[in-house]
Amino acid sequence: MATPWPMQKRLQNELLHLQRDPPVGISVNPNSASSTLTLWSVNVVGAPGSLYAGEHFQLQFTFGKRYPFESPEVIFIGGNIPVHPHVYSNGHICLSILTEDWSPALSVQAVCLSIVSMLSSCTEKKRPPDNTFYVKTCSKSPKKTKWWYHDDKV
Amino acid sequence: MPDVKTPSGPENMDSDPNSDGLKHRAHANSTDADEASKDSENAGATGGTATDSAEKDGAGSQESLFECNICLDTARDAVVSRCGHLFCWPCLYQWLETRPNRQTCPVCKAGISKESVTPLYGRGSTKQQDPRDKIPQRPPGERPEPETQGPFQGFGFGDGGFQMSFGIGAFPFGFFASTFNLGEGGRFMGHPHRPQVPPNPDEQFLSKVFLWVAVLFVIWLLIA
Repeated sequence: MATPWPMQKRLQNELLHLQRDPPVGISVNPNSASSTLTLWSVNVVGAPGSLYAGEHFQLQFTFGKRYPFESPEVIFIGGNIPVHPHVYSNGHICLSILTEDWSPALSVQAVCLSIVSMLSSCTEKKRPPDNTFYVKTCSKSPKKTKWWYHDDKV
Repeated sequence: MPDVKTPSGPENMDSDPNSDGLKHRAHANSTDADEASKDSENAGATGGTATDSAEKDGAGSQESLFECNICLDTARDAVVSRCGHLFCWPCLYQWLETRPNRQTCPVCKAGISKESVTPLYGRGSTKQQDPRDKIPQRPPGERPEPETQGPFQGFGFGDGGFQMSFGIGAFPFGFFASTFNLGEGGRFMGHPHRPQVPPNPDEQFLSKVFLWVAVLFVIWLLIA
């Protein structure tokens, strides 16, 4: 396989370790990672004791050519989008590390854990207040949204 | 490998949502979110999760101790930040170029800059290709003076290259020991990339004035 960009090695590395030694409740869909590794789908399970305990969700990671210097695009896909104050019904997630607080030391695993943690700290299952408006007007990629991070509790 | 360790169990994830330093959240809207009202605290230790697991895991396998925190491979042309995090120089350089106006350590978000990182030279490193042949150039190692000099080191006047020291030991003869150094200031705080500035004419003039004042003072002392 040709190397389209230097950091493909890092993605292979991440994939290998995530498959070999996955953290509790997180698993990469086998066969989901395309041959160029730019598109992954990851299954996550709501943490025990949280409002989402036992629920299965699917995350889709899209890696740009500048990964890991640029964050991956991460959205919920599939039939079960968690009902959460920071998750829009189209699967977009409002999470600062996915945009401005991204760091190349983060990884697919770190992002998945952050999302599970975000779900776990939720106290009431509800959609964001501007869900209807956002879903109607947003761009296809959440990375094009100008997110406004204001809530560090949930 | 960093990042592959089972992290804190899911049970305690909800016990303290802020403890992992992550900031999730919020409300978006497509275009008109107010940039100015962004939470400036967002820069918290977002890297926490990755760091913790990397450290725990590093103890397990020796190799990952020397892996670059960005490419997750063994660090080549390694540099270490002041906060102690290891990177390949090309990786770190690229990250610093990505965020030129907010340069933070990818792992701990401490301040970081091209100048403040230290290159690591292993024993075999001389056999490798000179990293300076490659772009980007790795910053050079610094060679600060040893800190064993006497208490009267002199007063440095900023960066301008003017340095003056007084010896007040055996008064009045001590004044003869006064020295006026030009062009060597900043040696102790040496900065590898700072261009050497020629001595400022104003400072030269000033030092001559001081010298004459001192000479006149000594003469006056001898006469009186």
